[in-house]
Amino acid sequence: MRQAMGAVIRKDLRAITANKRLLIPMLAVPLVLTVFVPSIFLLVLHFMPEETGDMQRLLQLLPDSLREGSLEQLAVNTLMNYIMPVFFLVIPIMASSIMAASSFVGEKEKHTLETLLYSPLSLGQIFQAKVLASFCMSMLVSFLSFGAMLLVVEGEAFGLLGILLVPAPSWLAVLFLVSPGLTLLAVTLIVRGSAKAQTVEEAQQGAVFLVLPVLLLLVGQFTGFLLVSLWILLGLGAALLLLGVALLKRSLGRWQYERLLQ
Amino acid sequence: MKAVETENLSKIYTGGKRAVDGLNLSLEPGEVFGFLGPNGAGKTTTVKLLNGMLTPTEGSCRVFGRDPAREPEKIHALAGVVTEHAQMYDKLTGMENLLFYGAVFGLEPGKCRKRAEALLEELELGEAAGRRLESYSTGMRQRLSLARALLHRPRVLFLDEPTSGLDPESAQRVNSLIGRLAREEEVTVFLCTHQLRYAQELCTRYGLIERGQLLAAGSLQQLRDQVSSGVTLRLRGKHFPRELAKNREGEEVYTLRVQNEEEIPRIVRKIVEAGGDIYHVSARRLSLEEIYFALTAKGKEESL
Repeated sequence: MRQAMGAVIRKDLRAITANKRLLIPMLAVPLVLTVFVPSIFLLVLHFMPEETGDMQRLLQLLPDSLREGSLEQLAVNTLMNYIMPVFFLVIPIMASSIMAASSFVGEKEKHTLETLLYSPLSLGQIFQAKVLASFCMSMLVSFLSFGAMLLVVEGEAFGLLGILLVPAPSWLAVLFLVSPGLTLLAVTLIVRGSAKAQTVEEAQQGAVFLVLPVLLLLVGQFTGFLLVSLWILLGLGAALLLLGVALLKRSLGRWQYERLLQ
Repeated sequence: MKAVETENLSKIYTGGKRAVDGLNLSLEPGEVFGFLGPNGAGKTTTVKLLNGMLTPTEGSCRVFGRDPAREPEKIHALAGVVTEHAQMYDKLTGMENLLFYGAVFGLEPGKCRKRAEALLEELELGEAAGRRLESYSTGMRQRLSLARALLHRPRVLFLDEPTSGLDPESAQRVNSLIGRLAREEEVTVFLCTHQLRYAQELCTRYGLIERGQLLAAGSLQQLRDQVSSGVTLRLRGKHFPRELAKNREGEEVYTLRVQNEEEIPRIVRKIVEAGGDIYHVSARRLSLEEIYFALTAKGKEESL
């Protein structure tokens, strides 16, 4: 059965990579968030006259414990370890929603799901294979984005400002707990919506509910209203993962042949 | 063991529509069963019930002794299904589609490719194997669906209108493939169709369904006997005896109903002895189409 589930996962991944209409937004958004946004930030930092004082005011919002080093160091540290992680909450939500919507609702829309249901894979195995495909794609996009961001930020910070930074440990929590947790939640929302949604676009709208709190968090980070510590991130990540797994299990219970073929 | 068995099988959809009503069927392995009825009669619902896609409201069904409602994936492993709504992937080529479904059915890749090539060739899709499905015509898609359903050498085939959308030549080819599978590999075929001419060429037994109820079931002769057991005799000639005037249908054409073929020489002799000239004599039994319409009309009369 592993071979069969593997075939479904490979086919779902290929369906995304072969479809430019889905692949381009899935890659363009992370590219903008992880390459263009930090580049503009660093360029502004490099060319900005020091006497404006805007940057100092922003950095004064940081706790005392973080206010060490030069202005540039502080700014790059804030960008790398406090602003960029929030983008890495948006990326898995977006990637997994596009992937899950194509994998679950897209198949229903194109009448290919029925053919798959007539296979010797159980409903649970088809469900698992599809969730795994969405999860793998989301994680792959997240890790690739992280690699691209690291290259760009470190390269530009070193080239323009002569600074080399080590990513904070909170990145581990973001990449290995919060991102997977959010991915599972986004997939759950799409799967739940897939029962009613007749088109891929309709199903993707469900994931908007997840993006809203992330946007608030982003505003919080920029204004200094909220600074999330490593421990909060660890707790949040674990809670999201558990919630994601629990909700997925509930969704699996609702996955019945009769409902899927309606 | 019966290949397919249903006992008082019924399905009422949410909303109250009784799609299948007390269906009793029994198919032997290797049988080609024609399940005939108009659109909306309950044919597709029956196929879905037999594959575990729907749960019966009442009654039960079994495929090779297994209950589809309890073990649907085990039924799917030994069944091949072609329905109008079971489509394949447009962005994959014909061959890639078959290799994907082969992998899902646990076939070893090398063997699967060989089997796929043979089926594509047999269904005249060999040249289109490397083309994406989006460029296929309806008929080609239909034939590829049949190849997909046959890939894992199923013991039972559920075919829901497999020849609709096919040109007569392709339909003939599909029919001969299905017939050969039934004869040589003892595959049981459950064929839902309203193309009665193709059904008559292929099926060994029939079931007529209308509004969810089985109107009649049996071999062609058994169904004929339910409608009319006689033979229609058609004669063309001149100077026929007066007593045949009531059977005259056109100029020089006479139609008679006789009980059996043994009566034909006696009638011909009588005409010739009376001075008649006979140019043509033909005897014809009721076709499946005529039986179908007679039985459905009878069903309608009874329900009124």
